[in-house]
Amino acid sequence: MASKEGGEKSKGSQVTGDNKEKRRKESILDLSKYLEKSIRVKFAGGREAAGILKGYDPLLNLVLDNTTEFLRDPDDPYKLLDDTRALGLVVCRGTSVVLICPMDGMEAIPNPFINQEG
Amino acid sequence: MTQSSLPNPNTLLPLELVDKCIGSRIHIIMKNDKEMVGTLQGFDDFVNMLLDDVTEYESTPEGRKITKLDQILLNGNNIAMLVPGGEMPGESYDG
Repeated sequence: MASKEGGEKSKGSQVTGDNKEKRRKESILDLSKYLEKSIRVKFAGGREAAGILKGYDPLLNLVLDNTTEFLRDPDDPYKLLDDTRALGLVVCRGTSVVLICPMDGMEAIPNPFINQEG
Repeated sequence: MTQSSLPNPNTLLPLELVDKCIGSRIHIIMKNDKEMVGTLQGFDDFVNMLLDDVTEYESTPEGRKITKLDQILLNGNNIAMLVPGGEMPGESYDG
């Protein structure tokens, strides 16, 4: 009986070991569906860029082609200008990426949160 | 084994692209309003970068500030984007 328990214990640890292996390789976001598509990327610190996804790695570093960076108002860093600059082929650091979304199916809308006065 | 999150051999790995850039000019865009252009000597797992012959561009409300430095180790903590081959967009090339 002692040996049976021992056997079960080792099976248990094998199962959790396998689960840990599987969890490590799984990302919650599958970027392969965005390959060769135009995506918008936002960075910690407020920068925004858009480009065609050419490659990525599990750490979320990205390769974007035909990249344009959206420039911000120097007086108000939260305000986006219409101005952009072309950067070409860029690598985006996964450590500072905060948002990834497809350009197709995204649009800018007027601010829905502005309080009405009076 | 789950393959869905791993890129297939056709995709370009970001750090491979940076590795190909070793020896040429690279333009580093930081999370804040600083940018560096230099010759890439190398980088590590954390993408700290060793750059030669560096020009530092700072976009401040007063206007662009430029400094020149010889060889630097750039802390990878604040890097947002890397542009291989890039001189600053908008700057003219010599020759």
